Amino acid sequence: MGVFILRRFVSAILVMFSISILVFLIFFATPGVDPAARIAGRSATPQVVAQVKHEFGLDRPLPIRYGLMMDHLFIKQDLSSYVNVGYKVIPQIEAAAPVTLSLVLGAAVIWLIVGVAGGVIAAANRGKFIDPLIMFLGIAAISVPAYWLGQVVNLITQSKLHSSIFSWVPPSGYVALSSNPGEWALHLLFPWLTLAALYAGIYARVLRAELVNALNEDYVRTARAKGLSERRILLRHALRCSLISIVSLFGLDFGSLIGGAALLTEVVFGLPGVGQLTYTALQNLDLPVIMGTVMYGAFFVVLANAVVDVAYGFLDPRVRLA
Amino acid sequence: MHAVDGLSLSVGRKEVVGIVGESGSGKSVSMYSMLGLLREANVSVTGSVKFEGRELLGLADREMRVLRGRDIGMIFQDPMTALTPVYKVGWQIAEQIRAHQDVTKAQARQRAIELLGEVGIPEPHRRVDQFPHEFSGGMRQRVVIAMALSCNPKLLIADEPTTALDVTTQAQILELMGKLQDTYDSSIVLITHDMGVISEIADRVVVMYAGRPAEIGDRRAVIRTPQHPYTWGLLGAVPRVETKRSRLATIPGTPVSPLNVPTGCAFAPRCEHRFEKCDERPTLRGDGHLDACWLTIEQKVHLRAGAVETGGHA
Amino acid sequence: MSDEVLLRATNVVKEFSLRSPGLRQRATMRAVADVSFEVRRGETFGIVGESGCGKSTLARCLVQLMTPTSGSVTFNDVELTTLSRRKLRPYRRQMQLVFQDPYASLNPRRRVGDIVAEPMRVNKTGSESEIRARVLELFELVGLDTASIQRYPHEFSGGQRQRIGIARSLSLNPSLVVADEPVSALDVSVQAQVLNLMADLQERLGLTYLFIAHDLGVVRHVSDRVAVMYLGEIVELANADDLYAAPFHPYTEALLSVAPELDDGTQAPRERIVISGDVPAPFNRPSGCTFRTRCPFATDHCAQVAPPLVELTPGRFVACHYPRNRSTTSI
Repeated sequence: MGVFILRRFVSAILVMFSISILVFLIFFATPGVDPAARIAGRSATPQVVAQVKHEFGLDRPLPIRYGLMMDHLFIKQDLSSYVNVGYKVIPQIEAAAPVTLSLVLGAAVIWLIVGVAGGVIAAANRGKFIDPLIMFLGIAAISVPAYWLGQVVNLITQSKLHSSIFSWVPPSGYVALSSNPGEWALHLLFPWLTLAALYAGIYARVLRAELVNALNEDYVRTARAKGLSERRILLRHALRCSLISIVSLFGLDFGSLIGGAALLTEVVFGLPGVGQLTYTALQNLDLPVIMGTVMYGAFFVVLANAVVDVAYGFLDPRVRLA
Repeated sequence: MHAVDGLSLSVGRKEVVGIVGESGSGKSVSMYSMLGLLREANVSVTGSVKFEGRELLGLADREMRVLRGRDIGMIFQDPMTALTPVYKVGWQIAEQIRAHQDVTKAQARQRAIELLGEVGIPEPHRRVDQFPHEFSGGMRQRVVIAMALSCNPKLLIADEPTTALDVTTQAQILELMGKLQDTYDSSIVLITHDMGVISEIADRVVVMYAGRPAEIGDRRAVIRTPQHPYTWGLLGAVPRVETKRSRLATIPGTPVSPLNVPTGCAFAPRCEHRFEKCDERPTLRGDGHLDACWLTIEQKVHLRAGAVETGGHA
Repeated sequence: MSDEVLLRATNVVKEFSLRSPGLRQRATMRAVADVSFEVRRGETFGIVGESGCGKSTLARCLVQLMTPTSGSVTFNDVELTTLSRRKLRPYRRQMQLVFQDPYASLNPRRRVGDIVAEPMRVNKTGSESEIRARVLELFELVGLDTASIQRYPHEFSGGQRQRIGIARSLSLNPSLVVADEPVSALDVSVQAQVLNLMADLQERLGLTYLFIAHDLGVVRHVSDRVAVMYLGEIVELANADDLYAAPFHPYTEALLSVAPELDDGTQAPRERIVISGDVPAPFNRPSGCTFRTRCPFATDHCAQVAPPLVELTPGRFVACHYPRNRSTTSI
């Protein structure tokens, strides 16, 4: 198992290295495009363009350019924006990352609990009234777009009912966990619920389908023949095997959300996270920031996948050999 | 739809009863329904199933559960899928023991190791901590058997236990089942499509067609002097290792779907000896050796002799 | 049956390179290990063996669906393994396959008439009306209702689907039909129908069959000569009657002794030889004789020297240092 984990993480590092090269090539070696002009922004003076050329070694061979780039990104960490002159990219991402992390982690806990519980309850009550009810709630949660749900939540909690039952809801924004844990949770509560709704719906539906399949498997028949209780069969046998697909789904969702896919929720609730950072950078065509966030996002997607594969190894003994 | 219709059967202590039939004959469904293994809401079982004098139909799920696995063990067709893939085999055997007996984890594990040794798995101490995918098909079937035997069941139900296995492995498993039956004094109900397997191990045979018993009798009687035309066809259709015949006997047509069983004799549409009386549903008749066919004994002897002579009735 | 050789395999080897669980390096798996035999025109040559013995891989190598790693396959004395794809085409038409699973081997979205017509359309054997007429002819030949050509595979039972598969394989008038477990997915009564049909077709069309199965009774029933395979090798090859009456190889002997038989009072009592253990993994072949790890008669000699397949008595080949059922105990 140890070897398996080690191997998995070595390969993750190799993947990240390849991604860094790929990102570099896309930004700096696209034929027919002058990267200096792009980095410098839309209305840059020739001096600025020249400075960019020098800073990124654009007159030098590709490998050196790549080295310089990585030096700016990771070692000196002084890659800076030319659109908002003076803004350093890395500190910006470092400031935004905890916000996104807080948002996604909290939401993930909620959607895993709600989704898994919903799926198990629905599967255990097949053919009864509660099963289609949960499935309907699931499809409703999936169908509602996060920005709309977020706006509605804001409308209700911030204005319509703010003077009555939702008076305890703080205004939009983010409070760091380190400065005040209570406020942190309070500020994030509705963003968490909003973001979790979609995924809880998906997970409940996927898990129910997986469980219903698993309950028709031969090993469940064996478990019944062993005289185990239905509850034990469902939780220890069927659920355990169904979790494998939930985990792989979770790895993909979690990685991409951390990487910036929680953008809509962040914007709606005014959370200064990575998604919002990317969104602003895209509006301004702020190339260094875009590059930084792309690298950061890729990093988390790869990391999340590596963690998922290791979790797979624990859940499914057959994977460990491969 | 009647998957099984009017099956009456008794299994004596230490007896091996073989249920034989083609796909869709209801041979597995009959056993599963008796044991409450069919969970679908639209399955209903009527009649009476008695185990050691106790009525099983209508028994509460929790009482039935106590019988399943403790007094009645089961072995299934496909050993590759019968075990939960994510747990060690020893854990799975111990789980069953602990579901029925008040023993510690260590004791259950010890018993699992003993059982694995008993069913002929080499190095049980090491193998007990392996996962199902680390075993070959034959070895997995041994694990399933060890599990079925873990609580010394009085009745063992084996559903096509060797169908997915190779000939040499099949021989190993059949031999093992015979040996274990002696040690454990269990009765066995063996469900199979293979007349050869029945002939190797069964004391009594039930031939099923379209969910109904066509013929019931002692193994020798059913195989040597079969009474029902369907049994004639089944026996004649088996290619033999010992002797070569130029043509195999065939039963025309395909097995009837349980969705539209004819009102009279279910086999009549495929039977070349059918006559007016066959529009009426035959009952099992006979003394000890029963069959559901309207032909008289004299007619059967005569027709059967003719069929054997011509090597079949293709 | 004539003595004319239709298909000849000489020292055919098929190896797969694979990363196996638990092994550091890539392992070479010998699925077919040095197999030589010949199939005569008009006969049914049976290959019997347990799962993983390489019988299906061998069949695929013979009809050139796979290229053997080494060795030669000739058809009508033409070497096939070195032919280009284009030059192979006319020979491919002569050799057709029938598969095990009548559910998986027919495209569920096509009408069965088109499935049967497809090989003819691909090979442009005639005009569309000629092909249509031929499809009807084939349906009649295999005992299917000609009115059903517009239907889809799922509307047919397993036995009927296997008839469709056979009709398709016959559409190009092949001289050799390679049938890989053609009846193992079928019920006994339906299996008998298909076996009888295959026998009728052989008689009417003068077909040569290479019949692969794990069921000893089925192989016995259809075959003129039989080869027994174990772990990629032919361990015994003989006339079917001789082989089943008095097997020379201990593996054949054990196989036959444990094949379930109907106790209908016609056969002689027999001694069951239950061999222990499992077939070794093909990437970890035992030294010397591959069967020695399970053979009750194995000696040190068997571990050191692999017995070659030799003609012990005319027409009877066996690969064993200590053949059974013979007066002499050693060669």
